[in-house]
Formats: sequence, C-alpha cells, structure tokens
Amino acid sequence: MSVETPTDSEPAVPTGDRNQDRDEETGSVETTQGLFGDIDPASIGYGIVGSAIFVTIWQVAAAAVDQTYLLPSPIEVATAFIIELTASATFTLPIAGITVPMTRLTANLAQSLLHYLPGLVVGSTLGVSLGLAMGWSGRLDNALTPVTRFLRPIPPLAWIVFAIVWIGIGHGGAAFIVGIGAFWINFYNAYAGVEGVSTHLKEVAASLGVDDDLTMIRKVIIPAAMPSITTGLRTSIGQCWMIVVAAELFGAPGVGFQIINAAQNLATDVSVAYMVVISLVFLVSDGVFRRVERRLLEWRV
Amino acid sequence: MAGINKNSDQYAKADSHQNNRGNETRAKVVVDTVTKVFESERQTVRALDEVSFTVSDGEFVCLVGPSGCGKTTLFRVIAGLEMPTNGEVRLAGNTVTGPGTDRGMVFQEYGLFPWRTVQENVAFGLEEQGAVEPNRSRRVDEMLELVGLTEFKNAYPKELSGGMKQRVGIARALAVDPEILLADEPFGSVDAQTREMLHDELLSIWTTTGKTVLFVTHDVEEAVTLADRVVVMAPSPGRVNEIVDIDVDRPRQRTDVTFGEYVEQIRSLIGE
Repeated sequence: MSVETPTDSEPAVPTGDRNQDRDEETGSVETTQGLFGDIDPASIGYGIVGSAIFVTIWQVAAAAVDQTYLLPSPIEVATAFIIELTASATFTLPIAGITVPMTRLTANLAQSLLHYLPGLVVGSTLGVSLGLAMGWSGRLDNALTPVTRFLRPIPPLAWIVFAIVWIGIGHGGAAFIVGIGAFWINFYNAYAGVEGVSTHLKEVAASLGVDDDLTMIRKVIIPAAMPSITTGLRTSIGQCWMIVVAAELFGAPGVGFQIINAAQNLATDVSVAYMVVISLVFLVSDGVFRRVERRLLEWRV
Repeated sequence: MAGINKNSDQYAKADSHQNNRGNETRAKVVVDTVTKVFESERQTVRALDEVSFTVSDGEFVCLVGPSGCGKTTLFRVIAGLEMPTNGEVRLAGNTVTGPGTDRGMVFQEYGLFPWRTVQENVAFGLEEQGAVEPNRSRRVDEMLELVGLTEFKNAYPKELSGGMKQRVGIARALAVDPEILLADEPFGSVDAQTREMLHDELLSIWTTTGKTVLFVTHDVEEAVTLADRVVVMAPSPGRVNEIVDIDVDRPRQRTDVTFGEYVEQIRSLIGE
C-alpha cells in the first residue's frame, strides 16, 4: 500500500493549489435555448430542409386529391388559420359572467384553457401529494397499492361517463377528465422519486438534527425527488393537451370541439388549423416549463 | 440530543474547548460491551462481540481492521443509526439512542445534499438547531474558512472535486458544534495526494477546535499518521484485538523509523 505515489484516479481533481480549484467553478455547457427546447445551431439547416420537403409533399398530395375535405392543402390550412385568428367572437368567463370580445381562435383556446389549467393544476397537485405520501409511508403504500394498481389502467376518457352524470358535459366535465390524466402521471413520478431517495441522505439529515417526518419530507425527500416530480409535470403538461382535445370531442366547447365540429361540416382545413393550434400551444407550454425545470434543477449534473 | 437550542453561546464553546483540553480526563465516548447480531432467515452474523473501549475528551482515535471486522457496524452503532443487540454507547455520559447533532458525521461518500450550495450544506444542521441570522451565516463563514472553501460557498457539490466535497462534509459536521467528530473512511474516495493534504488539514482542524475524533479506516498508515491511539479490530466475530498508543511527535513522517515500526506492528496484528 504505497500512499506516497500520486495516482491518476481523479485526474481533474485539483490538489495542493487552491487557485487551481477555481477552474472548476464554471462547468456549464453552452446550448442555444429557444422556447422550443434545445436547438443545436448546426441542425437548424437540416430542420429547414426537412420541413420544406414535408410541406411540399403535402401540397403536391393535396393538389392531386379531388375533394379538398379529404386533404386540405397547407395554403388552405394557413388561410383557415388566419380567418379563425381574425374573425371576431366573444368569450364569456364562467362564474364571473364577464363577456370579453376575442377572435374565434383565441376564444376557443380560452375555452380549452378553462378545461386544461384547472384539470392540470388540481390533478397534478393531488397526484404529487398522494405520490409523496405513499412513497413516504409504507403503511399507506400497503393500504392503497391494490387500489391504485387497479384504477391505473383505466384510461382517463373512460371516466367520461361519470364526468357527464356527475358534472355534466361542460367545462367541469372536461376539466375532470384532464385532472384524472394529470393525477396518474404525477402520482407515479412523485412516488418513484420518493422511492429513489437514498437512505444515506436521510441518515445524514438525521445526524444533522432532523428528527420528525415533516422536516425530513420538506428538506430532504421533496428536493431529492424533484427531478422525478418535474419529469411528471412536464409529461402531464403535454399529455393533458391530448386529453383536453379528446374530452372536448364529447361536446365541451373548445379547440378539440372545433376540430370535430368543423370536420362534420367538411371544413377539414379549419380542423387542421385547430390541430396546429394544439401543437403550437403544446410547444410553447413545454418550452416554458423546460426553462422553469432547468432553473429549478440547476444543481443537477 | 445535547447541545441543541443554545445557539448564542454554543459557538463560543468551540473556542473555549481548546483550553479545556487535557484538563478534563473524563471519557468522551464509552463503548461498553457492545454486541451486534444481524439475524436473517438464512444465518446469524455476530458483527460485533462485546466491544469495549473509551475515547478521552480531545483525543484522536482511529479504528482499523480488515474488512468484515465490524468497524463500519461499530461506526453506525456509535452514530445511533443501528441499535446494539447488547451493551451500550455513552457519549458525554448519555446513552446513545439514535442519531443526533452531538455527533458530527463524515462519510466516505460525502453525503452532501446535491441541491444545496456549499454554504447551504454547511448551514443544514444549524437550521435544524434553530440558529438565527446573522449568527448562522457567521458560523457558516467561520466553518468554510476553517476548511478553506470560502470562495466556493455558492458552488454546488457537482462542481467540486472529491477532496473539496469532503472538506464541505467536515465543515457541515463541525458547524453544529458536536461533542465528537465521527468519520467513516472519509478519505477513501480521494486520490493519494489529496488524502495527504486532507490529513494535514484534519489535524490542523483538530488542533484548532479541540474536538474529539473517532476515525474509521482500513488504511494502517493513515491511522498511524493521524491517531493518538489506534483501536485494532479483528473479524469473525468483530472484536477489539488490541489498542496501540502511537507515541510519535506530530507532524509525523512516514519515513521515520518509529512510524514504520508502528505500521508493522499493527499490520502484523491485522495479519496483513
């Protein structure tokens, strides 16, 4: 056991000279961070070419089809989008009853947000809370695992029956469906996050004076599980847009309802325009959350 | 849990501690016939068998032994993370019943909270003790200065080298002014050069603070470099083989003849 011999086991590690240590202070990786996530500048060119090819094929294919409703062309979709974006409409805030002048597109988006946001917020909050509680308490875990295992495989949309009989197929019913979707995604991620917290860190905290569950959860479990929790939130932000559209197909007003409604009138260009709306809204919300997540988890490797 | 909620004067205690050193002959830690048996369905393992020794106030004691001799189990029993099957550990007269801030713990894998910056890690125990500002920050700064990490106070653990992480670990353990510093192979994950530097720093911190130190290692040279006394353990079942007083002036040179003799003596006890 020759202790004097320096080893290369930790090559980047500074030793005697403390000024050397300073180099390690900045370790951030340079990336261009746009609203749509990380963009590698070198790949932008390829992206433009790929998109152009896609749109061209679409346009050519649409021109080859006789009936426009079978495949509306990109130009028709863009036109429909602009018409929806500019045609005036009104949006009435529920409960408050205030009517605000808007355009058709923004009014429909606002309707959908009335389903999306409350469902997402309430469902996520409950999901994270129960996930934390069951991950922490073995007894609660044992008691509720059969129930959660049994309920988990049921798709959120299957609950539409109860959404209709309990709440009615309006804003509340759609929000309820969205909430169920958000609940399960966040429940499992929070649960897995707590399960993954190392015993070692809990022991360290105990040796530093943490002697009650609430403090342990607040100061160790939640921060340690945060990467998993934010993954759940990000997944649900995306999934809930899918669910919102599906829920509105049953008649609640909003973007999803417009997709099916326009298609029934053979105005599929309008349908696709609203599909584009969903996509854009998803990209924006996902991009915004990525930024929040990065800020929240800047301590991560 | 001793030493909690006295945040105003506990910091002063660290300074006066030094003067008391040597005057107080009372044992700081008493390991009293500790037996630890692990029982599983397949087998029963006697990890510790009637282990007894004491550590005096201000003393630096190393615990060495081959793997399987129960030194880590003993560390965990003293830390209060495991309960002994028989016997007890007394710290400053109180029986250990669980983990607490009267023992500052330093681990091989550092155990830093990755989501907390260096200064937030050091402040963790102080927050639990209810230390208020500006005392808390002052204490954190004092500790960071002690381990030479003042300019890294806002760095996250991921940005630090192994040696620096362990200095944070030591600062965090000492911040709550424990009765004793307990370390389990703290320098096992750093390279040899850094380890030697950390030995010097730890000895200097020990001299400055006058803390009692109980240090677990499998490295005999490390034990002889650091300790006043070395408790040599033997395996199956884990027990105390012999306790060796290291009578060499500090700073100790590994090339020194007496140093080498102690190393040889302990190695032959271990059977290396």
